[in-house]
Amino acid sequence: MDILVVHLFNALLYASVLFLIAGGLSLIYGVMRIVNLAHGNLFAFGAFLTASAVGQWFAGSNSALLYLLLPIGAFGAAAIGAVLEPTLLRPFYRRPEEYQLLVTFGLMMILEDLIRFIWGPYPISATVLFSKMGSAKIGDFVYPRYNLLVIAVGGLAALFLWAFIYRTKFGVVLRATSQDMRRAAALGVNVNLVYVQAFTIGCFMAGLAGAIIVPSQSAVLGMGVDALVLSFIVVVTGGLGSLEGALVGALIVGTVREIGISMFPEIELAVLYLIAAIVLIFRPAGLFGKTA
Amino acid sequence: MSSVPLPFERRSPLKIVVWAVPIGALLILLPRIITPYQTILLTYGLAMAIAVLGFNLLLGYTGLLSFGHSAYFGVGAYTVAFMVKYLHVNSMELFVLGAIAASVLVTFLFGFVCVRYTKIFFSILTLALSQVLWSLAFKFFNVTGGTDGLRVPTPKLLGIVSGEKEDKILFLAHDYYYYVLAVFAICVAVMWLIVHSPFGKALQAIRDNEVRARFVGIQIRRYRLVAFLVSGVFTGIAGALWVPLNGLTTPDILYWPFSGEIVFMAVLGGFRNFTGPIVGAVVFNYLKTSAVGFTVYWQGLLGIVLVFLVMVLPTGIVGSLRLLWAHARRRLSQ
Amino acid sequence: MSSRPTRRDFLSQLGVTAAAGAAVGGSAVGLIGAGIAQAQEKPKGTIPSTPFKIGHMTFFTGAGAVLGEPMYKGNLLAAEEINAQGGLLGKRKIEILKADEAAGTDANTKEMRRLKLSEKIDMFMGITSSGNTPALGPVAEELKLLTIFVDGCTDFLFDKAVPNPRYVFRITNIQSADGSTCALAVAATWPQIKTYAHIHPDYSYGRNCFDHFSIVTKKMLPNAKSVSESWPKLFATDFTPHITKTLAAKPDLLVTSLWGGDYVAFYKQALQQGLFGKMKVATTLALGSVPQSIGKDHPEGVLTGVHSNYHFTYPAGNRWPLNKTFVEKYHAKFNEYPNFQAEGAYTATYVLKTAIEKANKLVGGWPDDDAIIGQIEGMMFPGPGGYVYFRPDNHQGYKDAITGFSKNVAEYPFPILDPHRIITIPIRNITAPPGWPKGEPTSTYTWIDQTWPVVKA
Repeated sequence: MDILVVHLFNALLYASVLFLIAGGLSLIYGVMRIVNLAHGNLFAFGAFLTASAVGQWFAGSNSALLYLLLPIGAFGAAAIGAVLEPTLLRPFYRRPEEYQLLVTFGLMMILEDLIRFIWGPYPISATVLFSKMGSAKIGDFVYPRYNLLVIAVGGLAALFLWAFIYRTKFGVVLRATSQDMRRAAALGVNVNLVYVQAFTIGCFMAGLAGAIIVPSQSAVLGMGVDALVLSFIVVVTGGLGSLEGALVGALIVGTVREIGISMFPEIELAVLYLIAAIVLIFRPAGLFGKTA
Repeated sequence: MSSVPLPFERRSPLKIVVWAVPIGALLILLPRIITPYQTILLTYGLAMAIAVLGFNLLLGYTGLLSFGHSAYFGVGAYTVAFMVKYLHVNSMELFVLGAIAASVLVTFLFGFVCVRYTKIFFSILTLALSQVLWSLAFKFFNVTGGTDGLRVPTPKLLGIVSGEKEDKILFLAHDYYYYVLAVFAICVAVMWLIVHSPFGKALQAIRDNEVRARFVGIQIRRYRLVAFLVSGVFTGIAGALWVPLNGLTTPDILYWPFSGEIVFMAVLGGFRNFTGPIVGAVVFNYLKTSAVGFTVYWQGLLGIVLVFLVMVLPTGIVGSLRLLWAHARRRLSQ
Repeated sequence: MSSRPTRRDFLSQLGVTAAAGAAVGGSAVGLIGAGIAQAQEKPKGTIPSTPFKIGHMTFFTGAGAVLGEPMYKGNLLAAEEINAQGGLLGKRKIEILKADEAAGTDANTKEMRRLKLSEKIDMFMGITSSGNTPALGPVAEELKLLTIFVDGCTDFLFDKAVPNPRYVFRITNIQSADGSTCALAVAATWPQIKTYAHIHPDYSYGRNCFDHFSIVTKKMLPNAKSVSESWPKLFATDFTPHITKTLAAKPDLLVTSLWGGDYVAFYKQALQQGLFGKMKVATTLALGSVPQSIGKDHPEGVLTGVHSNYHFTYPAGNRWPLNKTFVEKYHAKFNEYPNFQAEGAYTATYVLKTAIEKANKLVGGWPDDDAIIGQIEGMMFPGPGGYVYFRPDNHQGYKDAITGFSKNVAEYPFPILDPHRIITIPIRNITAPPGWPKGEPTSTYTWIDQTWPVVKA
């Protein structure tokens, strides 16, 4: 029985991280109709930044300081987003959609090498926080407390985001812009500002995912490309542009992966893609999306 | 792409000959001028040119951006590898036929699903489906060799020229180069006929204005599917030609960034022209090889080139040259 | 009908010895002039003075860089020492051209061709990944490029891809040795286990270790069986579900071939899930990749493999001065300790030098590739890790396999192999002999399967 609880936590752990990344991707698409292929590398950037802050620059400091430093990756990624949107993406809104895909693809390659340029070719880790939090007992088993923290952060982020989008004035503006950009502009909404804000929030989420997960793993070159494909699977399953879809999709992917590894170790990878493909074939907009 | 549609220039047959003959002659004479290494590099470029030519039927002419063409390239390559492994075949002609057959099958399956959608959803769906193939190649390592891939030894060309006897480098730089060149020429000719046929015109009509095309009576989905099929088959042929050059096929060619490279090549050359994809493929080949040899940050360098292209030269090399040429002609005639 | 030997008898027939290495940090007796680099005799005939170009391809970026970069450093150290004496045969300085293996197998194939045809390298060295040697071996042969692979140790290279090598050599121990060494060490140390679990990265190295561990364990521990398998993707960073799955199966032993960054992430995560307390753990490559990446929080008494090749603490002290001076020089230059890749590349460079010198003595002038190849075949060369022998038929290097148990000592800020419990095995006793037909999945596998007895429990 306890082992099922552990499995559940593993699935939630994975789902938390995926939700943060995919949610950001979906938010950006929902508001701006841009599929940001560089999104995975913002996740990677967040991971590297936090890893080097916690694991290298301030290594050995007081744990309280290290905990405070943890989200630095999220802010770094958000900063990059705030710079990228007005400079590299805005010129493309009037252009056909496909150009946006191309420019974000190029951006993905640039970011990958930027990360390598800043942090070098080796993986970076910051496991001190992971080890410090120790483990909790779950029946016969012990489970890292840090993982529980990640799950909590994921859940809180979902809650916070929901409240933000559905319960604040800014959220209303965001939703209005995503539903009908022209009308919102006609009503006086500063669409450019909304766009840059939405993009920054999306990047913040991706960076947060990287920042929060890196202590339990490590920051490795290429993690962005892998993460992008996974988040694609999530948004494709859940629906592009929908936050509920990102949440549901992340939970589905996390659970399927956990089951796959436990029971069908050989096909762990293929199962995820297959699910995405099947959903796409029957409901191309995903479970919660709209074929706008 | 449904913004301002640029008409494809009508070229009189004479104009084609004026261009094609010298280029053709150059390509035939090239191995005598440049080093074997450069020739092999060019052979890679020609093979990729076939792939991008096929890809562009969908993008440039039908307005559908596929981000999953690595799938068909991989199908072509792996079919050759399977024919070697299980059927012990060694004939290049059979390889190409096998690749065509397999690509038809896979493209039909994928295309049937994909052409129901357009724009972003089309692109994402093609990407996801190609990833399914990638993960299958990965996981069924007993069959596909997994990450190690499958070896493809030197094939026999036209049943007579065997690569086994001679020095493989010379074989690749001479016999194999001419073989690929011949297939390339045939593919270019076939594609030329396709895009100038009523079918090709219908595709462009669909691209420019889907609603109007439907009103005129064109069955959108069917035409798109056929375009998808042709596009995939061309790419499959390219994969089959590429794999003996490499000696080996791995899941890397099924991985989605490779699809991105194909798109890159089309954009580089200019996807609004017939020759754009060809130029793009050859140039990209050299670009990437020199970037890799030049700096460890070659990926970022290529990324910068792509962003620059999309921002400043969206019509690609050939498109921009055309514009420059038109500009110059206007200047001269004033 | 032959009776089945006991486990202990068969282990001693194989020559599996638990050797006590000398105590760590032996007395620093001045060893002037020790080391491979020795004063050269004057070469025969005219020698060109053009540089000798070595193309070195290994992982310089990404998760594989922890293994790859030291390989280049070993090559570099050796090249600098040789160049300090004037170069090969005193006249030709070594120039190393770097290439990044992380570019992918296809790009690597193109790059090898470019290095030979365009840059005109004289020799090729390197390669970490087992995915790349079977791809590049045939290309090296068709390019007629003298090659010493330092790793990429898959049996597949000489079993299938290049079964009759002419230009290609490989210096590090063949991959099948890893799984076999691990299994033999387990059989010698923990013969009482009844169940075991697997976690291997999903690529050829992982599968090779799985296969050979399984077949050897079938012979040596006939009553033990596998209860769980996990195949995480190579360079994945999250092993939590695989650890959970293993824990759920409650095995007596876990065997894993995770290495480098994978192993670091794995052991940290496994520690927090209490895995090490619940079962014995045997690895094939835990301490082999980067000695200093494993922290002192790593549990002691884990069978920590070193790719069967080399750990810098063995042979220890003054018992084998070549190692002592190598480690000192490497550490002085790079501020880290050499791994088996570094030792392999260093030794390979000196093998090249020695082969050139011997060929020159015989025929004078600069020896051509055939002469050099002739000298390497059958050479028994003393390197820092021990004697390495190049079998003439398959061009594979053979040196004693080694593994051991993790231990924390005061001298080093990371765990090392417990010097009192080093296990060595003569490699010729655990790999397929010359003349044995090629088999699936490897010749060694079929050889073990068909010729080893199932021991009496």
